[in-house]
Amino acid sequence: MTASRRLLPWLLLTPALLIFAGLTLYPLGRTLALSLFATDYGFENAKFVGLENFQELWDSRFFRQAVTNTVVFTVVATVLEVAAGLGLALLLNRAFPGRTLVMTLLLAPFVLSTMVVTAIWRAWFHFDLGFLNNLLRAIGLPGVPWLFDPNLALWSIVLVDLWQTAPFAFLIIFAGLRLIPQDVYEAARVDGAGPWRRFRDMTLPLLAPYLFVAALLRSVDSFKLFDKVYAMTGGGPGQATETVSMFVYRQGFRFFDIGLASAAAVVMIVVAGLLAVVYAASLLKGAGR
Amino acid sequence: MRTIGKALGAMLMLAGLSLPAAAQDRLVIAGRDAGFAPALAKMVELYQAKNPSVKIERLELGGGPLYERLAVGAREKTAATDVAMLDDIWAPEFMARGWLTDLGTVGGLPGEFVKSAMDVSRHDGKLYAAPFVGNIAMFAYRKDLLAKHGFERPKTWSDVVKAAQVIQDKEQGVSGLVFRGIKGNPIVTSFLPVLWAHGGDVVSADGKAVLDTPAAEKALTQFLSFKALAPKGVETYNATELRDAIQQGRAAIAVEMWSSWAGTLDGSASKVANQVEVVATPGEVKGPAPMLGAWLLAIPADSPNKARAADFIRFVTSPENQKLIALETGNPPTLTALFNDKDLVAKYRWYPAQLEALNVAQARPRISQWARVETILGDYLQLALIGQLQPKQALTEANAQITRALTR
Repeated sequence: MTASRRLLPWLLLTPALLIFAGLTLYPLGRTLALSLFATDYGFENAKFVGLENFQELWDSRFFRQAVTNTVVFTVVATVLEVAAGLGLALLLNRAFPGRTLVMTLLLAPFVLSTMVVTAIWRAWFHFDLGFLNNLLRAIGLPGVPWLFDPNLALWSIVLVDLWQTAPFAFLIIFAGLRLIPQDVYEAARVDGAGPWRRFRDMTLPLLAPYLFVAALLRSVDSFKLFDKVYAMTGGGPGQATETVSMFVYRQGFRFFDIGLASAAAVVMIVVAGLLAVVYAASLLKGAGR
Repeated sequence: MRTIGKALGAMLMLAGLSLPAAAQDRLVIAGRDAGFAPALAKMVELYQAKNPSVKIERLELGGGPLYERLAVGAREKTAATDVAMLDDIWAPEFMARGWLTDLGTVGGLPGEFVKSAMDVSRHDGKLYAAPFVGNIAMFAYRKDLLAKHGFERPKTWSDVVKAAQVIQDKEQGVSGLVFRGIKGNPIVTSFLPVLWAHGGDVVSADGKAVLDTPAAEKALTQFLSFKALAPKGVETYNATELRDAIQQGRAAIAVEMWSSWAGTLDGSASKVANQVEVVATPGEVKGPAPMLGAWLLAIPADSPNKARAADFIRFVTSPENQKLIALETGNPPTLTALFNDKDLVAKYRWYPAQLEALNVAQARPRISQWARVETILGDYLQLALIGQLQPKQALTEANAQITRALTR
């Protein structure tokens, strides 16, 4: 192979690598560097402090709570949304009168803006006047302190997220379900496989790539949770719904403490990176199979 | 090819020529949303009618986003804003960092303004902002319910607790009192008049954190006792929920009633029209300390249209326009004489009391780190409110965090 032939792939890759370096590696490197400084937004009087910002994060009860909340939210919301998406896809895969209408109604929350969704749910969650508590009281149950009980607030936000984004998981899984050839099921029926067996041994394995993509996209999005919390609880009550994104935003754009915000962002990148590694490994394993 | 080149050249020349003119005739006004927006919108409409050649752009933002936009713009020197609406608690930072224009250099500001609002507009003897909305945290109570149960106007916070307890026990479906419990600025502004009335403070005059005192602990203990008298879910209450609770007769006392919210108390949407008295906040071991919450208009130091911006600010703060704003939008004025104007008093019966409160109003600490200090205090107040920290522990931890914030 001549030298020019060996260089050609690199030459062709150069524009993409330059863009990647400029838009991803440079900001990452700069964030990492800033996390080692005590510095203001304007980078005036920047002072090298080593790992002090990370030590401060470790000592901060607020940051520890934010990390816990973020991880719990990501795992629970992703699992529930994919499960709900799968359930809905299986239900709507059968023909029945009014299926188009049901599907339209189902997809409506996904096309609403998050601010509209949070405004609707804030009203529904109102303890005295909200639709949900009125419904509970109508059947003789007590009202639920949806957003002001610190043990319940994060789950209430999970519920809102589920309502808004389960349709997204549904769309991906439903598309996968429609691509499964029906003759496979017919053959299984002939062989005497029951509904549960067909679901366990055929539907689930054939849907696995779609479930994986839905889980990947939902977990990445859930990990960045910011807008719903910002609009519904401001991170409260107490720190019950504070997320790492909110912590970074507050340190960076309310207090302009760029060093500490960068350190928190680095922690977030590391956790997200670990998630990405798991996903990438699974993807490559799947591709190699 | 040559034709295309000529056309491009001509376009560039035209663009270049039009830039200075566009900059001179433009006015970008960044202001608050919600109840404050109609006031600025009305002023823009009237100013535009008088100056049709000026291209005015008005931005409407929530408190947090407005602060961020203005602070980032000032740090980056974006020259993107000509008139900035500032909360008085942001003013010390903006003035100390040199982010605002000395109004004395652009024609000054005529008119006799309320002294406390004027004080927060000055820095080192120079006037950097114009008092625009004379907001002040007042106290509101249902005079019919208090009279029914044998209470007079509460003079202390202890009186408030007593009256609220009796009303809550005896009036079906009515909470004794209501306050803003959501974390951040709302819970802090609810708490500060109680803290000050107990003789406590957040930051001393020499800039040190002073929350770990017996006075502050007593104040917080009393403030936390309000929760049992408030509607369920008060931890998430902000201005809308508080106003609704009072106007719909679901609460008897509002621990804070900002004068810009009070405009609709006697309106058709209120179920308690003419039954709510709006007065200065109660005292406790010290006299009343009503909290100033003035909104100011200022010209960023990097504004390219300072003369035009100053002209707009003088227009907005003129007596006739301040009166018009108050009458049409309920935003209280900042010119002293207007609080006794017969048309305004006919519509807002509490204006004379409000002027008295404004004259003794206490501003929040004049420190450039207040945004951060307020957030820290708000976080710990909420942890105490939901029972995750004892008052003393909350104050001690908040004090340590505030001490750190003040040194950064």
